[in-house]
Amino acid sequence: MAPKQVIDGRDMMPPEPLELTLGALDDLAEGEELLLLLRGRPYPLYDILRRNGYVHDTRVADDGSVEVRIRKA
Amino acid sequence: MQPGLSFEQAPPISVPYRFFLTAPLFGIAAGLFLLWQGPAAIASRWSPLSLALTHLLAVGFMLMAMCGAMLQVLPVAAGANIWRPLLVTRLTHAGLTLGTLLLVAGFLAEWPLLFKLAVAFLTVSLLFFALAVLLALLRTPAVGPTIVSLRIAVVGLFVTVILGATLATAFGWHLSLPLTHLTHVHAAWGLGGWSLLLVAGVGYFVVPMFQLTPSYPAWLSRSYAWALFCLLLAWSLAWLPDPRPQALQTLLACLAALLPLAFAVVTLRLQGRRRRKMVEPTLLFWRLGAGSLIAAMAVLLLQQLLPAVDAYVGTPFVIGTLLIVGVFMPLISGMLYKIMPFLNWLHLQKTGKPGLVVPNIRDMIPEARMFMQFRLHLAALVLLLAAVALPVLVYPAGLALAASCLWLERNLVTGTRNFIRFGEELKAAVARERQPERPAAA
Repeated sequence: MAPKQVIDGRDMMPPEPLELTLGALDDLAEGEELLLLLRGRPYPLYDILRRNGYVHDTRVADDGSVEVRIRKA
Repeated sequence: MQPGLSFEQAPPISVPYRFFLTAPLFGIAAGLFLLWQGPAAIASRWSPLSLALTHLLAVGFMLMAMCGAMLQVLPVAAGANIWRPLLVTRLTHAGLTLGTLLLVAGFLAEWPLLFKLAVAFLTVSLLFFALAVLLALLRTPAVGPTIVSLRIAVVGLFVTVILGATLATAFGWHLSLPLTHLTHVHAAWGLGGWSLLLVAGVGYFVVPMFQLTPSYPAWLSRSYAWALFCLLLAWSLAWLPDPRPQALQTLLACLAALLPLAFAVVTLRLQGRRRRKMVEPTLLFWRLGAGSLIAAMAVLLLQQLLPAVDAYVGTPFVIGTLLIVGVFMPLISGMLYKIMPFLNWLHLQKTGKPGLVVPNIRDMIPEARMFMQFRLHLAALVLLLAAVALPVLVYPAGLALAASCLWLERNLVTGTRNFIRFGEELKAAVARERQPERPAAA
C-alpha cells in the first residue's frame, strides 16, 4: 500500500519526528497508512500507538535506519 | 494531535528528576570541600581527604545522575520497563544520598561505625538497582550494541559495588585485606567496567540521534564492551598470583586503555561529520569529554610504560581528574541538557489537547546558561589539573567546580519549574475551552 503521508525524520532533532507524527495521526483515516523514517526505534511512540488503537510495522535496514508503517487498528 | 492520546507507559517524571536535582548538590559540596581543605585534599591518592573528595564526585554526582538517567533512558531507548520504578527509585535515591554522606563522613572522621552504616545503605540500594535494571535489560526484545553495552555495564556495576562494599567493610570491621590492590581493582571497574561502558552504550544511541552524525562503526560498537570487560577481568585476576605477572598486567592495562582511546577518537570524527553544523552546548560537553578521555588514556599508557610517570605522585590525580571532572561530569551535564527538555516535552503532551501547542524543547532551559556552565566547568578542569603542579590553585579550582555545579543545579531547577509552569498553563487553557459559554448579558 502506498502511504498517504511520509515523515522523514532521519535528519531531524528529537522530538521533531514524534511531534510531526502525533500531528499527522489526526488526518489518518481508516485504511490509510503513515510512513515514518527514522534512525532508531521510537519506543515512546510505540507505547502511544498501542494505547490509542493504532498498529505499526517496523523494519530495520542494515544501516540501522528504521521504517515504521502506522495505521488504525 | 489526536484527542486523548494516552502516554501512561513512561515512568513518572519525578523518577529521574529527583536524581538529576540531587547530583549537582554533591558537586557543589566537592567544590566547597576543596576550598575548605585546600592542597591537603589532593596531596595523596590514598589520604582519607582525597578518598572523601573522590566519592563525593564519583558516587554523589556521577552515580546519582547515572542511576536517574538509566531509569529513564531504558524505557525510551530500549523499550525496557523497570519493575516497580517508583519503589526502585525511592530505595536507590535514599540509599545513594544517605550512603554517600555516611561514606564521606566515615573517611573524614575515620569512625568505623560510619563505614558500617554506609555499607548497608549503598550495598542494599545499589544491588537492588542493578538487579532491577539488569532484569529489564534481559527481558527487552530490543537488540543492538546499546543493549549489549548496558548489560555488560550493569555487570560492571555489580563488581564495583561488591568490591567497594568489601573495602568499606574492611574499614568498618578492621579486617586484614590487601586494601591497595582491592582499591585499584574497585576504581578500574567503577570508572571503566561501569562508567565507560555506560557512556559507550548511551553514546551509540544519543550521538547519532541528537547530533545527527553517522552511526558508530560496527567494528567498534560490536566489540568494544566485550573486549574492555574481558581485558578488565584478566587484569583484575592478574593481581592474584604471587609473584604478580607484572609484564602481562602492563600489557593488559595498555590494551584496555587503547579501547576508550579509540572510542573517543571515533566519537570526535563522527561529530566532525554531523549533518547540521551548528554548535550547541551538548556538542561542546561531548567534545570536552572525548578530548579528556584521549588525554586520560594517554597518561595511563605513559604511567604503564614509563617508571618516572608511574612514580610521580600526581599521576593518579591527573588521571582521576581527567576522567571524573573531564569526561564523566561534562558528559552527564551535556546529556541532562538533552534529557530534561525532552522529558518535559514528552510529559507535557499528556496535558495538551488538540489545538494546544506544547512549548518547544528549546524553551525549557535557556541555551546561554548552558554555555555559561560549560565555561565554568572547563575552568574548573584546567585549574584542577594545574593544581597538581601548583597546589595553591586548588582554591580557585574548588571555587570554579562549585560554581559550575551550582550553575548546573540552577539550570535544572529552571527546567523543572518550566515543566510545572507550562503544565499549569496547558491545564488552564484546557479548562477554559471546556467551560460552557456564558449567555450574553440581557
